[in-house]
Amino acid sequence: MGNFGQLMDGFAVALTTHHVMIMVMGVLLGLIVGVLPGLGAPNGVSLLLPLTFTMDPISAIILLTSMYWGALFGGSTTSILFNIPGEPSSVATTFDGYPMAKQGQAVRALTLAFTSAGLGALTGVIVITLLSSWVASFAMRFGAAEYFAVYFMAFASFIGMAGGSPFKTLVSMMLGFAAATVGIDTISGESRLTFEFDELIGGISFLIAVIGLFGLGELLLTMEEGLKFEGVKAKLDIRTIARTVAEVPRYWVTLVRSALIGCWMGITPGGPTAASFMSYALGRRFSRRGKYFGKGEPEGIVAPETADHSAGSCALLPMLALGIPGSATAAVMMGGLMIWGLSPGPMLFSTRPDFVWGLIASMYMGNIIAVVLVLATVPLFAFILRAPFTVVGPMITIVCVIGAYTVANHVFDIWLALAFGIVGYVFKKLDYPLAPFVLAMVLGDKAEDAFRQAMLTSDGSPAIFFSNPLVSTMMGLGILLLCLPLITAVFKGGLFGRAGDAGAQGRSA
Amino acid sequence: MDISRNTMEVATACATAAVGGIVCYGATQNGIGWNDGPEPGYFPFYIGCLIIVGSLVTIVQTVLRRTSVADIFIDGERLRTVVAFFLPIMALTLVSAWLGLYVGMALYTFYAMRVSAGFRTHTALFTAAIVVAVNFVIFEKIFMVPLLKGPILEYFGIY
Repeated sequence: MGNFGQLMDGFAVALTTHHVMIMVMGVLLGLIVGVLPGLGAPNGVSLLLPLTFTMDPISAIILLTSMYWGALFGGSTTSILFNIPGEPSSVATTFDGYPMAKQGQAVRALTLAFTSAGLGALTGVIVITLLSSWVASFAMRFGAAEYFAVYFMAFASFIGMAGGSPFKTLVSMMLGFAAATVGIDTISGESRLTFEFDELIGGISFLIAVIGLFGLGELLLTMEEGLKFEGVKAKLDIRTIARTVAEVPRYWVTLVRSALIGCWMGITPGGPTAASFMSYALGRRFSRRGKYFGKGEPEGIVAPETADHSAGSCALLPMLALGIPGSATAAVMMGGLMIWGLSPGPMLFSTRPDFVWGLIASMYMGNIIAVVLVLATVPLFAFILRAPFTVVGPMITIVCVIGAYTVANHVFDIWLALAFGIVGYVFKKLDYPLAPFVLAMVLGDKAEDAFRQAMLTSDGSPAIFFSNPLVSTMMGLGILLLCLPLITAVFKGGLFGRAGDAGAQGRSA
Repeated sequence: MDISRNTMEVATACATAAVGGIVCYGATQNGIGWNDGPEPGYFPFYIGCLIIVGSLVTIVQTVLRRTSVADIFIDGERLRTVVAFFLPIMALTLVSAWLGLYVGMALYTFYAMRVSAGFRTHTALFTAAIVVAVNFVIFEKIFMVPLLKGPILEYFGIY
């Protein structure tokens, strides 16, 4: 319908030589970021963000999203070849990918992973193509109260669906809110929480937090683990690749199930990490070959990869249509949109259709380019990873320090990033989820503004949040999600019994 | 010297609770009341309160949960590795603030290659030179994002 025509216009925007070049560059940078442990998609994208300030928004977003695809693919490469997940979301790929590679089938494992990842991503993009206009037109009826309700739902679902302790999620998220509050208040013009420090008047950029929490924090963790790369040799030959691609359709049940899980987890802010774990767990539970999972079972690679990538793509839908990011990386990209002078949300579809549809079209292209490039660069990255981490680590550190400086040309920001690095390190070791922190930092101001604007229109009566069916439904859902941990705790017996053992899902990036 | 996980849980929760307290205190300076809608400090105040509540519950959970008392957060050897990695980064930041990022990254790369990775002196020097050159070209030439130069480079007329 209308969407299809607009998608074609989008392809016309995305398929210029300039933009294809940008995609290739973005994917390559993303591969590097994804392959290196200690650098992940969220902080890779935030390191690149300051460099895009001078670019036009379409090129900039294509660069960032291509980098995102590259990082997702790169993360799987190291999971399979070295048993080191380059990304939190590719942890589940190591369960069966590395055993298969150790059996001498590295190429088969890689091809399986990339093909299913590509299919997952395409499913995600198709979902975005079909749903985005609809979601946007639905969102056009939103006022301040409705916006607050949507934000409220997003925050509540993080607390309710997080795998770990809901209280740690709460603390992490509220710290994010507090960090977002620092600086000049947008409504009253007063400076808040600055304690007379001039450096804090401008506020704390979420980019600094991301570089510290995800970049430096992850580096400290990797350093502590004393990584030893036990690489598996990977030599590519075309026949194995072709045979494996032909093998993929046999796993269609797993593919469909995983893609559905991925799309759902991407749209609701569950994120790719949670999606890949859930898909792996469900795969082991429901597949006929479930008992072979963990020993190099093909379906054990297909399941997490498909879900990971479909969630990664779908996470961009709520960002574009509602202004709510579905993952930490999407949150960073949304920050970018605002910096480029675009306001994410339903209005974007009518004010900048070229931007939205150019972006969606570039997702189809970007993923195809990523599959080709990732296969071509496997031997190269295998070579890089032979270098000891004592060499790679300092290089990543320099990138992080420069990245923190370039956000606003303040040395003070580097110190902040170092502080966030320690926080990130401790929080990760203690299973505090970091994604809620970033989400709150990006959305905190907007949620508060929406709330206060709603209060202005209603003369201070909170009844406005239950004034029509739409907003009351959303608020109700939000409250229900908030209570979810409480309900499950009651059913499982004891609030203090199990809440402490945070599953890996809680570390969703 | 081992630090147990429980100690660290409690210490972290105390730290977050303290941050919550600071946030609450800061909020009171903006007014935390409700005059036809929230005053500027209204939200920060309750955010601070929630941080304190969340931290306290985490402390209680840690104390009540006895199963994982033996868990170790970090042992002495690993702590030394992490500190040995982190201190040079702080030095890098200090030097960069004073003499500029390029001088900082050159010294840091040299240190990391020579001391941590154990390469020979001229290999380390060479690596440092490459790192500076690559970053200079990427930031100053390609993306035209000027990094902090510091007095030494400015003395040589590089702004």
